[in-house]
Amino acid sequence: MTRKSKLPLILLVVFALTQAVIGRVVVFPVWVKDYKPKGNQANAGGLSPDQLLLSLAGFRELIAGILWVRADSFFDTGNYDAVLPLIRLVTILDPHQIDVYATGMWHIGYNFTDEDQRSDRRYIPSALALGKEGANNNKETYEMFFETGWMWYHKVDDDYAQAVKWFEDAHERPDIIQARKNLLSMAYFRAGELEKGIGLLNKLYEEAVVAENKADATYGNTQVRETIENNLDTHLVRFVQRGEWARLQDAQNGTNTFEQGDYDTLPPHDVGFSARVTVEAPRAIRVEGTWNVLPIGSRIRIVLRDEDYPNAVPAGMQWDMTDEVTLDPPKNVTFMQDQLFIRNRRFDRRIDMSKDVTMYPFTKDKYVVEFYYNPRSAPPHLQDKFGYTGIGFTDSNFLDLQARNGERVMYTKLELTRDQLLQRGEWADRNAVVQTKNFDPGKRVGSQQDIINIPNLRAKS
Amino acid sequence: MKQIWSIAATTLGEAIRRRVLLVILLVGVVFIAIAPGLGVLSARSETTVLRSMLLGIIQMTSAVIAVVLTVYMIPNEIERRTIYTILSKPVQRWQFLLGKYFGAVLSLAVMMALMTGVLCIAYWIQQGYNAQGLQDLLKAPVMFFVQMCLLAAIGLFFSTFVSPLVNFFLSGGLYLLGSTFSLLFQDMLANPNAPGVAKMIATVVNVIVPNFAYYNIQNPIINPQVVIQDEFQNYVKIMAYGVAYIGALLVAGILIFDRREV
Repeated sequence: MTRKSKLPLILLVVFALTQAVIGRVVVFPVWVKDYKPKGNQANAGGLSPDQLLLSLAGFRELIAGILWVRADSFFDTGNYDAVLPLIRLVTILDPHQIDVYATGMWHIGYNFTDEDQRSDRRYIPSALALGKEGANNNKETYEMFFETGWMWYHKVDDDYAQAVKWFEDAHERPDIIQARKNLLSMAYFRAGELEKGIGLLNKLYEEAVVAENKADATYGNTQVRETIENNLDTHLVRFVQRGEWARLQDAQNGTNTFEQGDYDTLPPHDVGFSARVTVEAPRAIRVEGTWNVLPIGSRIRIVLRDEDYPNAVPAGMQWDMTDEVTLDPPKNVTFMQDQLFIRNRRFDRRIDMSKDVTMYPFTKDKYVVEFYYNPRSAPPHLQDKFGYTGIGFTDSNFLDLQARNGERVMYTKLELTRDQLLQRGEWADRNAVVQTKNFDPGKRVGSQQDIINIPNLRAKS
Repeated sequence: MKQIWSIAATTLGEAIRRRVLLVILLVGVVFIAIAPGLGVLSARSETTVLRSMLLGIIQMTSAVIAVVLTVYMIPNEIERRTIYTILSKPVQRWQFLLGKYFGAVLSLAVMMALMTGVLCIAYWIQQGYNAQGLQDLLKAPVMFFVQMCLLAAIGLFFSTFVSPLVNFFLSGGLYLLGSTFSLLFQDMLANPNAPGVAKMIATVVNVIVPNFAYYNIQNPIINPQVVIQDEFQNYVKIMAYGVAYIGALLVAGILIFDRREV
């Protein structure tokens, strides 16, 4: 090669163009698909410069491990607020740390509470988004699908179709453990898919029998088989006694045997809900009322929220409204959710929101107090009367078929203003009282004939 | 060809005798040896952190060696005036430059092979004999080697016209940029809210800057549940990119060095 030769320049152009084409067109898509670390590096802003440098230099898992150890120490000392950012960083740096995803979900969804241990529901969309992200990043294992399903099933405890969807996704993964398979059948029952629930229990029972008869079977296999057998037996009896079998036959044959039969769910029981809300002090309300169900186990949901709360639905919100995991939910909105426990067919509860002003900021002018009961969430002994889906349940005033797309639920709401709740302006020296139209101060419990005779599973004489 | 290999062999001999490189190598080896003790930092499995650490140490140490090795290559020869002795013989400048580069590559190969050997022993002691696991683990050092060849080409290219100190920061900075830019670039492309102009500029930068991140293939090795199809083909493509980029850098270096007064 001489200085006058054009060969180097030609070679330079050829090499430069070749690297550009191979790099951008051939390698980059491959790298994005197969080798790019999951998680958004731009979001790892909580790392110190040295940590960020180390993580970018290939020590992601190490930094994630160190951060997780730190988060664990914060758990031990009760410094929960410090845990969350660390958990988020760990999941960004090492999106295969399933334990951290699961712990983070639980922490966000359950552990941000007020003085009375009411969890801050504004965090739940974030918890679900974290679960979704964890599942997407770890599709080969059932764990995050199951954990996300569990949050829908247990924490949201309302939209069981979502729980079913996530549990079904978990079931598609071969590594799901036997003991966790049962829960899908429970979700089916609560979602109103009764045949699927029974069908799954049958299938699990058959699998358990095969596993028990294998040469290397353990005592655990026997326990699993017995548990499933017990579940299946119980549900089959309930299926019949609650009239679900008859309803199924009616739907298939065009008959009307259910209405004519002597089933535990007939006639529907009127729960006779009534309520009164009294603002006793700024940010403190007393809620009292009636619920004509004597056996213990009824819990009525109460929600106090901004009238225009974003993505609100009756007595709830669209819990999966976002895919973004934010550790800082909107601080200018109020959403209080609690349960009213029934004793002796009435409830009387004081709810104090004055000690946690960041959780209950009350910045809006208008609020609604919502009351909600979904028989699908009821314990089995009450469902023996109400049925799996509430066919044996009614309320002469507040039965609502709109709030949850045709499901039989009790729903009503009362309205309060900010001045009333904070006892300001014309309400400075007065206690605001709002009540349902049927609330009777003199009748604090339902009448004797309203008591349900809860059926049992023994054969009728 | 003979001249190139002679210079390469001499360069290898010099590199092995340079104390600063040996110290860096020793630090790397020591870190690899103690890495198994830090596996407790994992919430999930010690294997994950161990693999991540071992590969991370090899990569970082090799990068420092590659930069330190190449930034002094041409300036030292000029400063010590040995270049006159070499160029007075029947050796073309381009042969000298290529010889230096291949010498650097050989040096990197020897040093990285040593670290990889220690890595295998450390992994074996910690995890027990696992042929498949070791085989998977060794894919990364092979790709790191290509990555370091690219970094050495950058260092050598800059050493034809800048001082060692400036070259150190230029090469190091480019390595960091090239290791991180693809991550940010991809995130930007996936972000529908990013401005179109910014995306266009980022695409141009992505094409120009050497993408060292392509060689960071450790993610599926550290997390073996990730299944990759046509893995061998992928490696060939990534290597082809490196070879083309190295070719461009060497030719550019030759063009500059050929016109430089020494």
